[in-house]
Amino acid sequence: MLDGIDFTFDAGEITGLVGENGAGKSTLIKILAGAETPSAGSVVLGGEPLPSTTGAVISAGLSVIYQELTDVPDMSLLDNVLLGNLANTRGLIRSKENRRRASAGLQRVGLGHLDLRTPIRELTISQRQLAEIARCLVRDTKVLVLDEPTSALPEKDVETLLAVVRSLRDEGIAILYVTHHLDELFRVADRVVVLRDGKLVGDEAIERWDHTTLVRAMLAKELEQAYPWRARPMGGPVLVARDLEARGVRGTSLHADSGEVVGLVGLAGSGRTELMKAIGGVEPGTSGEIVVDGASMRVGSIAAARAAGVIYVPEDRKQEGLVLDASVRSNVAMGDYGPVSRRGILSGVAMTRRAQHITEKYDVKLGSVHQEIGKLSGGNQQKVIVGRVSEMAPRVVLFDDPTRGVDVGAKSGIYDHVFSLAESGSAVLVCSSDTDEVLAVSDRIYVLAGGRVVGEFLRDEFDREQILHRAAGGSAAENQLA
Amino acid sequence: MSSTIPAPAAWRAQTERAFSSNIAPIVGALLVVSIALSFMSDVFLTGNNLSNIVTQSAVVGIAAVGATFVIITSGIDLSVGANIALAGFLGAQWAHHSDNGLLGILTILAVALVVGAFNGASVAWLGLAPFIVTLAVMGMARGLTLQFSKGQSVYELPGSLNWLGSADFAGLKVSAIVTILLFLVGHLVLSRTTFGHRVYAVGGNADAARLAGINVKRVVFSTYVIAALCAGIAAIILVGRLDSATPNAANGTELQVIAAVVIGGTSLFGGKGSMIGTLVGVLLIGVINNGLTLLNVSSFWVQFVQGALIFLAVLLDSFNTGRLKRAATS
Repeated sequence: MLDGIDFTFDAGEITGLVGENGAGKSTLIKILAGAETPSAGSVVLGGEPLPSTTGAVISAGLSVIYQELTDVPDMSLLDNVLLGNLANTRGLIRSKENRRRASAGLQRVGLGHLDLRTPIRELTISQRQLAEIARCLVRDTKVLVLDEPTSALPEKDVETLLAVVRSLRDEGIAILYVTHHLDELFRVADRVVVLRDGKLVGDEAIERWDHTTLVRAMLAKELEQAYPWRARPMGGPVLVARDLEARGVRGTSLHADSGEVVGLVGLAGSGRTELMKAIGGVEPGTSGEIVVDGASMRVGSIAAARAAGVIYVPEDRKQEGLVLDASVRSNVAMGDYGPVSRRGILSGVAMTRRAQHITEKYDVKLGSVHQEIGKLSGGNQQKVIVGRVSEMAPRVVLFDDPTRGVDVGAKSGIYDHVFSLAESGSAVLVCSSDTDEVLAVSDRIYVLAGGRVVGEFLRDEFDREQILHRAAGGSAAENQLA
Repeated sequence: MSSTIPAPAAWRAQTERAFSSNIAPIVGALLVVSIALSFMSDVFLTGNNLSNIVTQSAVVGIAAVGATFVIITSGIDLSVGANIALAGFLGAQWAHHSDNGLLGILTILAVALVVGAFNGASVAWLGLAPFIVTLAVMGMARGLTLQFSKGQSVYELPGSLNWLGSADFAGLKVSAIVTILLFLVGHLVLSRTTFGHRVYAVGGNADAARLAGINVKRVVFSTYVIAALCAGIAAIILVGRLDSATPNAANGTELQVIAAVVIGGTSLFGGKGSMIGTLVGVLLIGVINNGLTLLNVSSFWVQFVQGALIFLAVLLDSFNTGRLKRAATS
């Protein structure tokens, strides 16, 4: 997967690493983490050859923060931060010492205010991500590898994280920062390394890069537009929601029209995901009124939402969207048996044909539809999901962070299909941890804060500063109430 | 990255079932054991003995058909042996008193289904851990059986109740034919129906299945009812074969059943497995039991060997699953 990569990174420097999915970033990270051994060549850490097991690599002072959370949901914040690293005297845990170390680590990522006894599953994804970074800080880390650390973080926490990364650099830690968000590189990196097809194709100080040259180096072609937004004809209202109440949603009303892409913008905890889940019937205990195509829909029931043509596409495709060990064609069929079965009997031929049709139509790169879907890249997995949903001829689709962990090239492909879906007359709702992305693809947005809609903007009124101000202002007011 | 992943070999693609599992090692083990036994014993390879193996595997085999569904959803049913004993005893008692075999059969099925519905409802709707629920039900069912029987067995059952367990048809035991038919039905349901696909989806990723519009609770409930229905049929065959019902019947059957399913390649983590694998697992256990008997090995060793087989199967399962998980993150 990698072909003659040769570069160094130094103490007190942030090295950015970019490349499309499949460029070899993951392989490089695995080699650094000691999870994979290079077939040729070597890695040298502080003059010593890199140990060949993951545990020894960590002891040698190299920690990796992965894109997916690696915490233990049922354990407390303290236990997670000190996972495998509790101070002890002959096996007896030194509680006071541990609390001090955990607090110190959490302080450095801006989580010092949290109760150490909180089970980590009760925290938001962003807080858990930050706690994971705190875990590395507690160890005596000399080299820190961050793999897409912001993929799940909202705007506000991205800046906190970048500040943490900068302060670690100033403490003399060597940092490798892997990301798809190019703007973050310009905010933190001192140097940027570009991989393409397993080869190193660029290694320059940050001053010598700009957005265009970076994208060109990654894709080796001009990217006309990351998000191919196009004007669409709009029809009448498809979705009308009134006074929705659910966990994290307080008396929210909104509407979406046929052909419209509506963005939901808000900070973490603003209720973006919760609102989508409430509309999609995924959240039991939802109350309020939802009208689809003029007919009232029972709330809080997935079955009722499906029957009305409302589909929620979850944020975490690996945990909630797909069966990773199963084949592509099984994942395409899952929950949508109408086209591939008769009276409960499945047709293998129909399943294969349908999966082939969808993967071709939605440009999924794969060997065969019998392949395990977990072996496809994130972008291709997401295209399968978008295809599966689009082919059900839905009325309302709720895309929760559809491009999480997906590279620039695949993002535009995914939104291309989302726009086609809207053109076919569906109403589409989108939210993302990347606010700029939502602004780039939406015809209209709602700004959320504290589970309520606090603003509504049409595409030609989009003003990034004003929108973020509104989102943050609402959030501050909530804090005062609490 | 996708372009560098080779497509699966053609045979792999063709044999791929909804969510496939690899049964080659277990088929190999069955062949090796069978070949070894055919050299070590003159009797092993006779038609009579082979038909004996299938007949003696009937109770475990039929229960394993149902258990395969449960285990694919990452559940487990420890109550199957106790269910066989309770349903079998109550049915036999009714049949004995009324001298009506059909009434006995209906009683057996009804009791088994009630137990299965209790298991299923507790796991699906009360959200209790299947291991604990079915362990508790196992205790309750054994207790009820002892209470109803006062520790006494029931004999002199009507012939119509015994027919399924003891009659011959075209040179084969009816029980063997029923077992094979149930495996066939189980295989078709798992691999060819939307219900079977839902079972795999729920076991593979329950959250994803729920968000894809699958009624996860109903699927889970159904698998326990199917397991109980199979336990009921197994009870009819057991009672019929022995022409009696004893309160301690099918003691430890649940372990043999789980062993057969897991050895057959069904993952205890859910989402993977096949009825063909379970059939091979049942046959392997049957052949080993038979072989140890033919070679005059103490029956205590039989139990040891079964335990060791479960351990090996779980080890293999864990190894395979771990490897798949790692591959999925690349």
